[in-house]
Amino acid sequence: MARSSQLGWKSVALVLLSLGVAASAIADERRASIPHGTVELLSEQESIQPEHAIHLGLHFRLEKGWHIYWINPGDSGEPPQLEWHLPAGLRAGTIEWPAPSRLPIPPLMDYGYEGEVLLPVPIENTSGLAAGGEVTLAADMKAIVCREVCIPAKAQLSLSLAVRAERPRESAGTVAMFSATRKALPKPAPASWRPSAKDLGDSFELRVTTGHSASEAWFAPLDPLQIENAAPQKSVTTTAGVRLILKKSDQLLKPVSRLRGVLVLPQGAYLIDAPVAVSPAKRPNKEQ
Amino acid sequence: MERGFAYVVTLVLMAVSTAALAARVGEPAPNFTAIDSNGKAHTLAAYHGKFVVLEWHNQGCPYTQKHYNSGNMERLQKEWTQKGVVWLTVISSAPGTQGYVTAEQENDYLRRMNAAPTAALLDPTGDLGHLYSAKTTPHMFIISPDGVLIYDGAIDDKPTPDPADITSSRNYVSLALNEAMSGKPVSTPTSRPYGCSVKYAH
Repeated sequence: MARSSQLGWKSVALVLLSLGVAASAIADERRASIPHGTVELLSEQESIQPEHAIHLGLHFRLEKGWHIYWINPGDSGEPPQLEWHLPAGLRAGTIEWPAPSRLPIPPLMDYGYEGEVLLPVPIENTSGLAAGGEVTLAADMKAIVCREVCIPAKAQLSLSLAVRAERPRESAGTVAMFSATRKALPKPAPASWRPSAKDLGDSFELRVTTGHSASEAWFAPLDPLQIENAAPQKSVTTTAGVRLILKKSDQLLKPVSRLRGVLVLPQGAYLIDAPVAVSPAKRPNKEQ
Repeated sequence: MERGFAYVVTLVLMAVSTAALAARVGEPAPNFTAIDSNGKAHTLAAYHGKFVVLEWHNQGCPYTQKHYNSGNMERLQKEWTQKGVVWLTVISSAPGTQGYVTAEQENDYLRRMNAAPTAALLDPTGDLGHLYSAKTTPHMFIISPDGVLIYDGAIDDKPTPDPADITSSRNYVSLALNEAMSGKPVSTPTSRPYGCSVKYAH
């Protein structure tokens, strides 16, 4: 008994020792290799000010032909997931997803990012961090990296920021990337666009009165199982705006009340939340 | 000779039904005939009176590996075939793509994994996959004893390649089979299938 407890203490000490070593080794591990690329945890700001939010971001660089996925990955794949480890008082928001690219793998269609992408994450900060110290922000990242085949990727990332009483300076190395990404994030559609949709039986008609004709337009749904991702989207653009015919998913069994997603137009991407009306032909006849 | 003729007829019929029908929950499941890894033909219509599970498979896919290396899929196959369910694993990987196997390679795999489907159907042309619009590996379908498609979707509600997620997941296939066998409607008849894309010929 005494012997085993002694051994127990020894192993606890060993574990503590190795934890200490590990902790110091991973205190600032911003960048990690993942299959066919790298991922790096970036901060838009050089330091953190008590009670002021900051933005971090996950910067993926992938070899040609490889991709990761949007929040709705489409027919296969899954989006990157983050588990944050932050000091008390700091809270990570959700990823601000840039508009995805269409990734056709006939007969399927996925939505994601090829090459290089920054996924920004706002970090709320309500803490009374004491100026003068340093905080470590860490995240465990899981993703799936695909070309024709898929490879799971995991990384433990962390970075340390000084806590300073003054307003933080933007980090010279990252500010351009954050601002370019922010400019390209889907914007809420102006209210005047009055997005609406009609249930046509086998398809939905999505109408958005942008007030401009667009040479091309396509819609990426936020909710799975509403539309057939791979079906061609017939688009009619008029001077009043855009009309898209979206084929319903074969897996859709119930009426849909809203179509939510990103409308990608030549001038940018917009968040759309369109109520779905049943077309008169489809409405049950109450007078019967 | 006769067999060759039957095969050609089957192919023609399959081509016709592919154009005419889609697999849709609540509707009759499209009929098919496909050859398994022992050279035996399986026709869906011949299993009338039994529940049939279709499991799209690619042994090189991390999501498939999640369920096979953990023993989860094999366990499900044993449990449900013992209860009289016909479990057909379908491999639609085209030659030269990930997951394509010869009959011999597949039989080796089934032995090595101690897998227990009723049969493993080889579909290198992707005809059966296209007929059911199978999207991912795994992608699961359930057909009721009267030939109606009653489930089309994921194996469970944890769309990750991590085996650690299996214990906390809700298995949609077991859920649907349990409900259907006790005469209840299937509470989750469709879900977004998750996994690798099926490696069809381009």
